[in-house]
Amino acid sequence: MANQKQGDGSREQFIPARYQPSLPLDKLIIQDGSEGAGDRMDLDVLIVGAGPAGLACAIALAQLANADGSELNIGVLEKAEALGEHSLSGAVVNPRALRELFPDLKDSDFPFRMPVSRETVYLLTKRGRLRLPTPPTMHNRGYYVASLCELVRWLGGKAEALGVNVFTGFPAAQLLVRDSAVVGVRTAPAGLDRDGNPTAGGAAPNDLVAKVTALAEGTRGLLAQTWCQWQRVPSDNPQIFALGVKELWETKQPLDRVIHTLGWPLPNDAFGGSFIYPLEPNLVALGLVVGLDYRDSTLDVHQLLQTLKRHPLLADLLAGGEMVEWGAKTIPEGGFFALPERRAGDGVVVLGDAAGFVDVPSLKGIHYAIQSGIYAARAIFQNLQTGASLAEYDRLVNASYVARDLYRTRNMRLGFRDGFYLGGLRAALMTLTGGRFPGGKYAMHADAEVARHVGAETASNGGVSKVDAVFKSGNATRDTIPSHLIARGDVPPEVARFYSHMCPAGVYEAGDGGGSLRINAPNCVDCKATDVLGPRWTPREGGSGPKYKRM
Amino acid sequence: MKIAVCVKRVPDSETRVKISPDGKSLDEAGVKFVLNPYDEFAVEEALRRKEKAGSGEVAVFCLGPAAAQETIRTALAMGADRGVLLQTDKIPADPYETAKLIAAALKPDTWDLILFGRMAIDDYNHQIGSLVAQLLDLPCVTAVSHLDIQGAKGVAEREIEGGIEVLEFPLPAVVTADKGLNEPRYPALKGIMAAKKKPLEIKPVQPAAGGMEIVALAPPAERKEGKIVGEGAAAVGELVRLLREEAKVL
Ligand SMILES: Cc1cc2nc3c(=O)[nH]c(=O)nc-3n(C[C@H](O)[C@H](O)[C@H](O)COP(=O)(O)OP(=O)(O)OC[C@H]3O[C@@H](n4cnc5c(N)ncnc54)[C@H](O)[C@@H]3O)c2cc1C
Ligand code: SF4
Repeated sequence: MANQKQGDGSREQFIPARYQPSLPLDKLIIQDGSEGAGDRMDLDVLIVGAGPAGLACAIALAQLANADGSELNIGVLEKAEALGEHSLSGAVVNPRALRELFPDLKDSDFPFRMPVSRETVYLLTKRGRLRLPTPPTMHNRGYYVASLCELVRWLGGKAEALGVNVFTGFPAAQLLVRDSAVVGVRTAPAGLDRDGNPTAGGAAPNDLVAKVTALAEGTRGLLAQTWCQWQRVPSDNPQIFALGVKELWETKQPLDRVIHTLGWPLPNDAFGGSFIYPLEPNLVALGLVVGLDYRDSTLDVHQLLQTLKRHPLLADLLAGGEMVEWGAKTIPEGGFFALPERRAGDGVVVLGDAAGFVDVPSLKGIHYAIQSGIYAARAIFQNLQTGASLAEYDRLVNASYVARDLYRTRNMRLGFRDGFYLGGLRAALMTLTGGRFPGGKYAMHADAEVARHVGAETASNGGVSKVDAVFKSGNATRDTIPSHLIARGDVPPEVARFYSHMCPAGVYEAGDGGGSLRINAPNCVDCKATDVLGPRWTPREGGSGPKYKRM
Repeated sequence: MKIAVCVKRVPDSETRVKISPDGKSLDEAGVKFVLNPYDEFAVEEALRRKEKAGSGEVAVFCLGPAAAQETIRTALAMGADRGVLLQTDKIPADPYETAKLIAAALKPDTWDLILFGRMAIDDYNHQIGSLVAQLLDLPCVTAVSHLDIQGAKGVAEREIEGGIEVLEFPLPAVVTADKGLNEPRYPALKGIMAAKKKPLEIKPVQPAAGGMEIVALAPPAERKEGKIVGEGAAAVGELVRLLREEAKVL
């Protein structure tokens, strides 16, 4: 239980998983035809999530159908009110998959901001910096800085021009099944009152039924998790995550390169670093990414980012500038060994971040997301035409650079398990040996299984408060909405405080004297960290949450 | 019932707008545009009137750029039957010019009711509804927060200083919608699909310059930074002093 004494008896610690409710599978999976739905719509292919993965899949499918002269009814569901408003990334984009998706377009036709011409990696100390040779896995020459919001809006336009139906403001909330097959989803209802009762102006859930459902929900996808648990699809290692908190700054000083930093202000037993990318010389994306297996229960990624901004490197860059946007999102970091054994099943495929296609050392997932969408489209099209198995999708991914890249860096993140310095040494060796050192595979624990020692509370160190941060995310969720977070009622004070530090949006507050856990659910920006370590996240009314513009 | 609703495409109120280098217009780059919220009340009211009457038509009129087709589609997705876009890249600064074009588009038909939002949240002009009523020689009730239709007669409530005013008027008439008139419906999937197939007519128009010109736009003065005086009871004395001596509110 909580307050377990460690061997030396000096530190209290707890395991977050003890306080985490399990996924309510009985509510998340319903038989097709169950009552309670309003409209019902039939589609050939249903895609859940309008990120790069889902939209690439829709576009590639529509292209295949056009070329073949056949008609496909393709629908994409997205929980954000408008395209791109829940999209957040770095981002330096490898254009490889986009070129494959649009063979007739040039790089200059894509909605990129700037090519990467120079890059620097620093190891920071509190006031100093040491320039490191750029590790080969972090080379970004030939790639482009972009805003994922802008890329998603552009992809959405392409999809709609090809006849794809994009439904924004409609979160998928439940899997519709028949036997062991997925046949579609049920959306979340809208307009519920605080107690979850329907109101006069509200809207009932909709059932969308399709021959194939593609789950492209991005990081920590709820329905992807549900399907894997339900169908007992294993992976060698559990998936692990990092949380990225990001700010967009209009600066007075121009920036001419992409910068990554390691070291300060992260404690030695946390894995992570920062990225500083210029969208324009005077428009800078700045973020801090920290693995959710950190040990100190009071570690607070948002606060650490505020601390980082006081380092001379950033203080000089940001002086006189203005923060124009703020946001947060998790990243699946388990790499190769955390991929579900299969990403295709009866009537269903899992794409992009929802499947875990992210290369950790290079912090990249966008091109893998797009590529997985292209492969899924090919497999789905064949399946619809000839009845061929959707397992073709797995075959295509496994034979591609997606699996190859992830295999090459398979132990990189896992090596950091023991903290930065030891991990850094291992990472260097792995790069030199093409991933072969140290051989075999590291066993990982799910983040929630990693024990946290109860750290001392320190006063906030200034910078942007979480309240201001949520405002800058554009979140204007109505405050009469029912809570979408499933928490246990009995969390002890140190765990409540742990949640309050974990959540970048200030959703959780530990009551005075550490008593009860207060939940300000409307503040949630859907980063999903909570679902990894604490209370469970479920979809709420469409259009809730952040409204990112250039994140 | 045959109802016309006139709507405008406006920047989302949450958008941080920037003024263009010319100092007279908004920089539209990266700005999200929406259906003017007051017009949403008007569309909702039109749909409810039609549903109540059991038959009729709701037509949506919009003066704006090509992108305003999306604004019209939003109204069609809510349930309106058809749309007309009076297409121009430049919305005149003089509301009278806009009103003349809208009135001319409405004129060929006979309407039981013509609805507008009370105002557009971008220019706060409050003029188009009244001007169109005048041009069509119809009665006009503005800022309506409750509406009842009884045969050829309308009863409207308006929230005025300290109370509610109740008005009776004959149909056809022009009514502008205020907040509180209704709770606009959430768009339905079926509605969004259906909207793609509903008729949307595009008529290019050339607004005259009119008698008004925008000479400058300026952002509001920046708010002075707040000040934290201290914490707890110890800070009360200082707070009272500052409120009295600096803010001069005590
Ligand atoms: C801080 C940070 C920095 C990064 N930097 C880079 C980088 O520099 N380069 C790079 O290549 N990659 C980067 N990545 C990773 C990259 O952003 C992701 O790999 C990529 O966005 C994955 O695409 P996706 O389509 O799978 O998921 P997403 O982009 O997450 O899209 C999923 C979509 O599905 C929607 N959705 C989720 N659940 C539901 C539901 N139930 N119903 C309806 N809609 C739903 C979401 O709202 C979202 O719009 C970064 C990630 C983060 C967080
Ligand atoms: S409640 Fe959870 S998902 Fe929402 S912002 Fe906080 S940590 Fe992220």
